[in-house]
This record gives sequence, structure tokens and C-alpha cells, in this order.
Amino acid sequence: MDPPLIELDRVEKDYHAGSIVVRALLDVTLHVGRGELVAIVGASGSGKSTMMNILGCLDRPTRGRYRLDRVEVGNRSGDGRAIVRNRLIGFVFQGYNLLPRASALENVELPLVYRGIGRRERRERARAALAQVGLGHRAHPTPNQLSGGQQQRVAIARALVTSPSLLLADEPTGNLDTRTSYEVLALLQQLNRDGGITILLVTHEPSIAACASRIVTMRDGRILSDAKNQALDAAELLADLGGVNDLPDSA
Amino acid sequence: MTGARPMTRLFASLLLALTAIFHAKGRAALTVLGILIGIAAVVIVSALGTGVQQRVKSQIESLGSNVIFVFPQSNQRSGARGARGGGGRLTENDGRAIVREATSVSTVVPFLQAQAQVVALEKNVMTNVVASTRRYLEVRGFSVASGANFTEADERLKAKVCLLGATTKENLFGDADAVGQIVRIGRYPFRVLGVLARKGQLPSGEDQDDRIVMPAPTFRSRIVPTAPGRVHTLLVSASDPLTVGRASAQIDAILRQRHHIAPEDEPDFGIHTQAEFLKTQEQIFGTLRALLLGIALVALGVGGIGVMNIMLVSVTERTREIGIRMAIGARERDVRMQFLVEAVTLCLFAGILGTLVAFGAIVALARMLGWSMLLLPQALLLALGVSVGTGIVFGFWPAHRASRLDPIEALRHE
Repeated sequence: MDPPLIELDRVEKDYHAGSIVVRALLDVTLHVGRGELVAIVGASGSGKSTMMNILGCLDRPTRGRYRLDRVEVGNRSGDGRAIVRNRLIGFVFQGYNLLPRASALENVELPLVYRGIGRRERRERARAALAQVGLGHRAHPTPNQLSGGQQQRVAIARALVTSPSLLLADEPTGNLDTRTSYEVLALLQQLNRDGGITILLVTHEPSIAACASRIVTMRDGRILSDAKNQALDAAELLADLGGVNDLPDSA
Repeated sequence: MTGARPMTRLFASLLLALTAIFHAKGRAALTVLGILIGIAAVVIVSALGTGVQQRVKSQIESLGSNVIFVFPQSNQRSGARGARGGGGRLTENDGRAIVREATSVSTVVPFLQAQAQVVALEKNVMTNVVASTRRYLEVRGFSVASGANFTEADERLKAKVCLLGATTKENLFGDADAVGQIVRIGRYPFRVLGVLARKGQLPSGEDQDDRIVMPAPTFRSRIVPTAPGRVHTLLVSASDPLTVGRASAQIDAILRQRHHIAPEDEPDFGIHTQAEFLKTQEQIFGTLRALLLGIALVALGVGGIGVMNIMLVSVTERTREIGIRMAIGARERDVRMQFLVEAVTLCLFAGILGTLVAFGAIVALARMLGWSMLLLPQALLLALGVSVGTGIVFGFWPAHRASRLDPIEALRHE
């Protein structure tokens, strides 16, 4: 059998604040298989952000082992982690984090620039990724000319453009209203279902977590519970709201 | 594909830099002012250097490198030393002795001069009246453009005849023919025998063509009453440019003997060769160059610190952007390269503008002061090289700081 995509084994993280040691993660073991859609929930200070940073290779565990896609990544240097982020991980943030001066297309191209891919191929792949999130017709505006939901979809396209093994979404609906939140969730579910992409969704809202097929609850730096969930279909929730689904047809 | 990677990244960095600079135009313009001045100074210095070399060469050709100037000089300790014509005396007999005894000398001519008012028809100019023999033209490398030189008979008879320099002729007669015309110098009318061909300026900026040449005896009796045979200067022509040094030594020995001056005593005459004039010139330009080079270094230093400052501000302002770039896979060296390219681009802009300013200054200086300066392609390469160098030196630290940011902290930055 294939090993899981994410293997987090007995991971701990300490922060030093002066002479005080803050133990942000304690003995966390988490395995996530390919194609799963997992929600990580917990109050602020529960350690979910710390775990997210380690899973996203933005930070290193103090103790324990982290393997991603069969590769040991927990102990890598700065540049080593940058390469892992570029090749294996796509990020979606609460605040979109798009470059304000660049067009939607240029934003989506950016990860490919750091991979050293030529201009023409970058353009093609970025256009394809924008089409995948239903923004094929909105390639040229800069972020401030787009709505919040559209900006988040551009961010998702940027995360997808490198065909990563893992998509990390940190409160992706935190800045959006209910309808737009469901739109974004429906898109993530569709990418997970049709594209088979593994998604980790950090949220503190139970209604968002309810759309995941597995819910991991954190508290005080530990995993409190880890359970299967009968996922709600965000597209149906959206339809119940009387919204118009302008997502691309699932094919 | 692998080969294309560094270029792809560099090109992307360049585009980014241009965008970033464009979005902060005013700030960028103020920042690069120091660099601009520095680069302009560098270019002017190098053009000045090249110009001086070219100039020295052309002046050797213009004056004749084998000309030696001998002039009387006070040797009294209390007297004003170095003032030409003060104190000692020099005569045509001294000149004859030099021609007779010095083996490395081919010609000696007397030389006297005075400022005088010259009138032709209704035109009235102040000019330099020079008196010598007919061989003066040959010693100083003048030639007659129209008309003829004066003759030995003119010299003997103190004839009231003269030759006009090209500038003087123009001032008095414009485009009209001057040969055969009468000009009044002081109280006496002189007939113009000929007009000299144009020769250009001396290193001192003096116009060699603004002069009137006449026989020395005429000068002594009609312009400035002077004892027969007395001269202001003896112009000596060495037989060859290579024997100028030896000729000087011979002249020194002969004149010391004639003037009864012991070898250890200070002479009552001075000897100047063309090489010494040129050396003085070079010293002046050397000082000027050192000064400009100093200005260049200070301006580049100040400008460089300005660039460093603005880059630090830029890094702080764009901390979040750096965080985003790092999150999606920018390595330390990618971030460093981005800001380094931005600093270098900024300096390169300044360098190009500075080169244009320098070009304007060079043209203006050449017009106003008659300095010949040459802008060589090497100078442009130097300017660009110095710009890039300044960008790298002063951009490195801000770029390094940007590359060492922690992505998590940077992403949290507002």
C-alpha cells in the first residue's frame, strides 16, 4: 500500500520568549492519505497555526519527524524548504496575499518563475489554472479590481499552478461572506473530488469544517480528536442560499 | 531548459525592479541624484584626462617641440624673481653667440612685444605687437597665408611694415583683403605685407592669431623706444626635438660666460623649454582631475548611502510581499537577487543620466573654455561599470537583510 502523503510523527514545537519556553505543539502524530480533504479546527492558541506552518514547511519542528510525499522535509534548511514549498505545496491564505501591483495572471505565474520555467510555458499554465477556478476571462485585472471571492480564486489558481501534492488553506473563507465562502468551498471540494488533490483546511468555523470528510480538532497543542465526517456538499448549500453557481462545470 | 533558468530568473528580477522603481519615481529620482553627480564627475575626469593628452600632442606639433625660450631674470635676492624682463639684460649679441657656439642650436631670433592700439579705417583694436626677424615665422611655425613676409632690407631700414595674425586681420578688415592696406599703430602708419595662416590657441588660452608681427628695429624706434640690440626674449630653435636638453645646457653655459656668472651663482636669465610648459599644464590638469575625482568619490559615497537607505525602506515596505514570495518558493538567493537587481538598476539609471549630464558639461566646457576633451567609448564603459559596482556594494546589505527574513514573520507583517 502507498504510504500516506503526510506523515507527522511525534512532532513538537517549542518557542522561546525570553527565558520562558512556550510549548506550542505536543506529541502530534497525524497521517493524511492522498486525496483526503481534512479540516483542522481549534480555538486560537490551540496550536493549529503552528502545525500549519510546519506542514507548510514555513517552520521546522523542534522534535519529531515530518515526511511529505515520502520525502523527509522536517529537518531541511531554509532554501531546502523553499524548494519543497515551490514543488509540493500550494498555499491559500485568509488575506489572499496576492501581489497588489501584478495582474491576476502574473500572480498565478509567480511560483513558476521561481521554478525557472520560461515565459511562454508560464503563461499557458497560468491561464489553464485560472480557467480551472473559473476566472479564465479575468486574467488582466490587478487584485484591487477583483472582488474578495475572485481574489481568493486567483490565490487558489496560484496554489494549483505548480500541480502540488498538497494544498494548504489557512482560513480561506475568513474574509468572505457566507455565499462567497460556500463558493470557495465548493471550488475546493471540486478540486479535491475531480482533481484528486489533497487539501488541508484550517478553520475555526464549524460550518466550514462540516464540508470536510475528516475533522482534526486541536487543543492546547495536542490533537483532541480525529474523526471521519459525513461531508456536506458546499455546492448544495450554495444552491439552498439561492445563489448562482458560476463555477466551471465539473467534468 | 536548465540553461535558460538563470536568465529567466534574472529577466524576471529586472522586470520587477523596473516596476518597483516606477511605482516610487519621485523617491528614486531624489535618491539617484548623488550617484548621478558622481558618475558625471567620473566621466568628465576621464574625458579631461584624454583631452589633455590629445592637447599636449597637438601643442607639441603647433609650437614646435624644439623651441627654447631664453629671457632675462632678476637674480637679486630682494628683487621680484621670475618676472620676465625684470633685472637682467639680453641682447641680440647674446643670440649671435648662442648660434655661433652652441652645436645643438640651429636658429636664434630676437623677440620683443607690447600691447598697442591698432587702427584701420574706422576699426580700432588692442592687440599684441610682436617684433623679431623674418625667421620668427619659421621658428614658431607660422606661415604666410596671403601676401609676403618682410625682408632683411625691411629690418635694416626700420621699414613701417607688418604682418597680421588671422584674428587681428578679421577684427580690422573682416572678410576684405588686408594685403597692401595701411594700419595705424600708435602714431605711425604701417603697410600690411601679409596675413598669417591660422594657428589656434596656446595652452594658456592665449590666441596665437591675435598679433601683429614687425621687424625688431622698427619696433625699437616706432613702438617702444628700446636700446638697439636689446630683446625681451630670445627664441632658440634646437636642431632637433631630441637635443632640446643639450641645447638648453649649452645656452646656459654660453650666457653664464658672457654675463660673468659663476656656475654656482643664480643666473640673470631663465631658460624655458616647451617640455616645461607642458609639464606645468599637466600639473594644473592633474590637480583638477584629482579634485574632480574627489568630488566623484564623495558623491558616489553619499549617493550610495542614499541608495542603501532607500533599499532598506523598500525592503521594510515590502516585507509582506517578501513573505508571499518566500511562501510560494522564492529561495534566499532569489530574494537577494531581486533587491540587488533593483539597486543596480537604480544606479544604472543614475549612471546613464550622469553620463548625459557629463556629455553636456564636456560640450559646454569645450565651447566656453576651449578645452579639448575627448569622450571615448571606454569612458562610457567605465561609467556603467562604476554605476553597477555602486549598486552592488550599497545594495548588498539591504538585499541580504531581505533574504534573511523569516517567512512566517514576513507574512504577518502589515
